[in-house]
Amino acid sequence: MPGPAGADSPDADSLVALDGVTKTYQLGGTVTALDDVSASLDAGSYTAVMGPSGSGKSTLLNLVGGLDTADTGTVRVDGVDLGRVSETRRAEKRGTAIGFVFQTFNLMPRLTAVENVALPLVFDGWPQEKRLDRARDVLDDVGLGDRYDHKPAELSGGQRQRVAIARALAPDPSLLLADEPTGNVDTDTGAAIMRLLAEIHERGNTILLVTHARRIAEHAERIVHVRDGRIERVEAVERRRPYDGDDRDGGGPDARTGTGDGGTEDTDTHDGGDTDGHDGGDTDGAPANDPGAGADGSA
Amino acid sequence: MDPREAFRIAARSIRAHRLRSGLTVVGMVIGIASVVAFATFGASVQAAVIGDIGETNANNVFVTPASVDDDSPGGAELAATRPVFTAIDVDRLREQPGVEAVIPQGVIGLSSATYGSDTIAQRQATATVSETFTDANTVAGRGFESGAEEAVLNEAAARSFERNVTVGSTLRLTLASGETRNVTVVGIVSGTRGGFLSGFGDATPRIFLPVDPFYTTVVESPSVGADVQVYPQLTVIATPDAVPAVKDRTEAYLTGDSDATRLLGEGVEIRVQTSGDAVGAIQDVISQITRFVTGIAVISLVVAAIGIANITLVSVTERTKEIGIMKSVGATNRDTMQLFLTESVLLGTTGAVLGVPVGLAVAWGAARFADVALTLAVDWMVFAVVVGVGVGIVAGLYPAWRAARVDPIDALRYE
Repeated sequence: MPGPAGADSPDADSLVALDGVTKTYQLGGTVTALDDVSASLDAGSYTAVMGPSGSGKSTLLNLVGGLDTADTGTVRVDGVDLGRVSETRRAEKRGTAIGFVFQTFNLMPRLTAVENVALPLVFDGWPQEKRLDRARDVLDDVGLGDRYDHKPAELSGGQRQRVAIARALAPDPSLLLADEPTGNVDTDTGAAIMRLLAEIHERGNTILLVTHARRIAEHAERIVHVRDGRIERVEAVERRRPYDGDDRDGGGPDARTGTGDGGTEDTDTHDGGDTDGHDGGDTDGAPANDPGAGADGSA
Repeated sequence: MDPREAFRIAARSIRAHRLRSGLTVVGMVIGIASVVAFATFGASVQAAVIGDIGETNANNVFVTPASVDDDSPGGAELAATRPVFTAIDVDRLREQPGVEAVIPQGVIGLSSATYGSDTIAQRQATATVSETFTDANTVAGRGFESGAEEAVLNEAAARSFERNVTVGSTLRLTLASGETRNVTVVGIVSGTRGGFLSGFGDATPRIFLPVDPFYTTVVESPSVGADVQVYPQLTVIATPDAVPAVKDRTEAYLTGDSDATRLLGEGVEIRVQTSGDAVGAIQDVISQITRFVTGIAVISLVVAAIGIANITLVSVTERTKEIGIMKSVGATNRDTMQLFLTESVLLGTTGAVLGVPVGLAVAWGAARFADVALTLAVDWMVFAVVVGVGVGIVAGLYPAWRAARVDPIDALRYE
């Protein structure tokens, strides 16, 4: 078993349990994205998966999120073995038990904020009034009570990401997955997003965060370092962000996110290095990461 | 997912691409409308023709010479110019049981007709007997009397002159021989009894003259040896319950020991048809033409279907990312398929629903132009709508299937 203790002990009682998961892709040659990975997440935990581009962290997220299935091994979420159920069942699971937050927001451009947030509930069969009510409630929770009927194009990057988070939370999932949630917003906005995730965690939600930036990963309770498809080590975060006195996180109210996102939206969809321009100093604190960053975007 | 939700989402994405959806629907409207228009117009013409024949020619048994190898009513009419039925045949047929009247018709060659100072070219007049006219088909005046210098005109002929011809007017007819005759118009008719398909072609001006004294085509009767008048066609009018029997007896007599049989040339036979036979034959021809033309219209429907398929396919490619998003928030493959199918069915149905009234409007205009009453081809309308919906399904099936198969991970990465 690779990886240190704590990450490789699949537990039937855990919310998420990966056992011996291997995933390969055929991209000209065989690329092993995940190699015999075992890990588990307890309910209510906040875990960051950290690693350079191509390390397999996005694959890990896709497997846990039921967007993809493992070649070998099992991925259990909420007691369901995602690899053994039908695609339909997996889709239902994605809509109810799992909430996705993406780096590029992935909102429906023609739908308003409320409609975007209500989208998972449409596929879950909620009646219209009920799901719009629920969507408004969740938007209130993420601080967008005054943006119900705005379309994504009329919102700033930070606001879009809040809509995306609200959408992920709308079905009240047992697991929130965030893939570089601050990757496409400026630093201040990113900090606000991370504070929102922290609040969501404090309310009892389980969060799995994928990032290549240590500064972001430090918001979690523990960091799982992934490299070349294997879990390198699991680190318990001693000093969690946002800690007092942090120059960027200590800023203004959350709503002040409408500036400076114009250029960040279309920058980069790879895992590597797009926020680094703002704060190169504190990314990728794990020494092993830097050489691999940006070398391979295939995962 | 709830079909109403699918409908709402599909309608929304159709609205979002107004121009593109609009053009697709226009293609569909043209396809459906042309099918409906041609089918309706064909049905209208058919109903008008059959109505005319049915009304004026019920109980009629038409007797004409016809080419042996020509099976169409049009061919029969061409062959029908050959005079073979003598006055002797007419008399003998009239004596048969169940026969109410026998109406011979012959052609009198004319060159022109003059009314007042207005002269029109008129190639021929129809020589016939007074049984041709009934109260039902006489619009004004009465039928002519045999032996009198009288004429009966149909409405089209009465309208041919600058001033309308009325009962009591005098016409000067110039015969083909150059001789001129003055006749008194004693009646105006709309359709007549007797004569093959005389009801059809009411739009053609026709002048009816009594056989006596105008019809001078004679032949030596093989049975009596004397010169008698000879006609190219007969109409045997049967009593209402004796039509099939009269047809059989007429056929038996004429193919047996009649003058007609002996006067008949090579390659010509006598054809005996009831009005039902004639209606059936005409119906066949018109519905064949209608089917053929409607078939061409179906091609435009196929083109429209390809348009829908194309648009839906473009839509799937363009919305790959949206498909990924929907899948990531819980849309099943079935949901995705349903959304795109709903969209294409919506386009097809909208086209059909708009196309039917447009087609009817075109058919109405054509029917007015052709001066026939509009008859709805309900079965074709149902066909058009069903095809519209069907086209939506078929055209959307492959694109929707492609959409359902989109891999969410690839789709989310798609820009």
